[in-house]
Amino acid sequence: MKKNILITPIILFFLILLVFFYLLIIDRNPSELPSVLINKKVPAFEAKLLLENKIFVSPGEFGNETTLVNFFATWCKPCLDEHLYLKKLSNEKGLKIIGVNYKDDSKRAIKWLKKLGNPYSNVLLDPNARLGIDWGVYGLPETFIVNSNGVIKYRLVGPITKKNYGAFVLKVKEVEK
Amino acid sequence: MQRILLAILVYLMTSQIVAINCYSVEPDEFLQNPKKELRARNISKNVRCLVCQNQSIDESSAPLAKDLRILIRKKIKQGNSDEEIYDFLTERYGDFILLNPPFKISTLFLWILPFVFLAVGIFVIFLHNNKSKKLDYNK
Repeated sequence: MKKNILITPIILFFLILLVFFYLLIIDRNPSELPSVLINKKVPAFEAKLLLENKIFVSPGEFGNETTLVNFFATWCKPCLDEHLYLKKLSNEKGLKIIGVNYKDDSKRAIKWLKKLGNPYSNVLLDPNARLGIDWGVYGLPETFIVNSNGVIKYRLVGPITKKNYGAFVLKVKEVEK
Repeated sequence: MQRILLAILVYLMTSQIVAINCYSVEPDEFLQNPKKELRARNISKNVRCLVCQNQSIDESSAPLAKDLRILIRKKIKQGNSDEEIYDFLTERYGDFILLNPPFKISTLFLWILPFVFLAVGIFVIFLHNNKSKKLDYNK
């Protein structure tokens, strides 16, 4: 009985060590946060457009097809790397990409899109991060997948890369099931 | 020489004091009403900066922290209560944005476990004491 009591803390210690070690070696980013907007309707907002003199009204313009909402800026280097994959995605059928130009200079953004190509069906302006806050954005780039019912199904924090592109396309297809 | 050393020492000590009281709130953010400003500061101290996750937005110089500080002040000006502002933030960023986690079913363990451990600790010490007392008598 006494021996058992002595050995329990040691076993416990190693169990805790094992848990920590496991968390250390699995592929995860500890600063990545889950979005609380998952399975909720897109937030209601109004925004000016970058390329047209019109106002975008949410949630009215969501629905009917799967929509990606991509927060980007010209000052964000990973956004530049991601751009190639957004263009690839814009060729997919039944998929619309809305860009949100987050705290950026409009002239620069227009130049950027002219130079690199424009994968977005609409580019919304978010000069003071109000839209970003409504969507719970905390770092660029972030991409949300909204299904055809206007419900947010997934959020990717960080860029779409060569490594996660395949998995991301699968996620896009999954949201309509 | 000694004077110079003393001066350096005083400088180092006072600069430390200044550093301790240094917040990232910029003068142009302040509200004119001191009562409202104080409310804004108190809320900011309870709100986590999601960019540098162990700082409050009151201390953080990250752009998002600044945006949130300005937004909180705007909401106070519009007459929102503290509760409404916290709700607004958690609806978008989750409970993680609060540096003080709320008491809920999902956080029950977080709040209760320390007391459980304390009780176990007291129990163990009590048991141990009893045992050693008995041993003493046996001698």
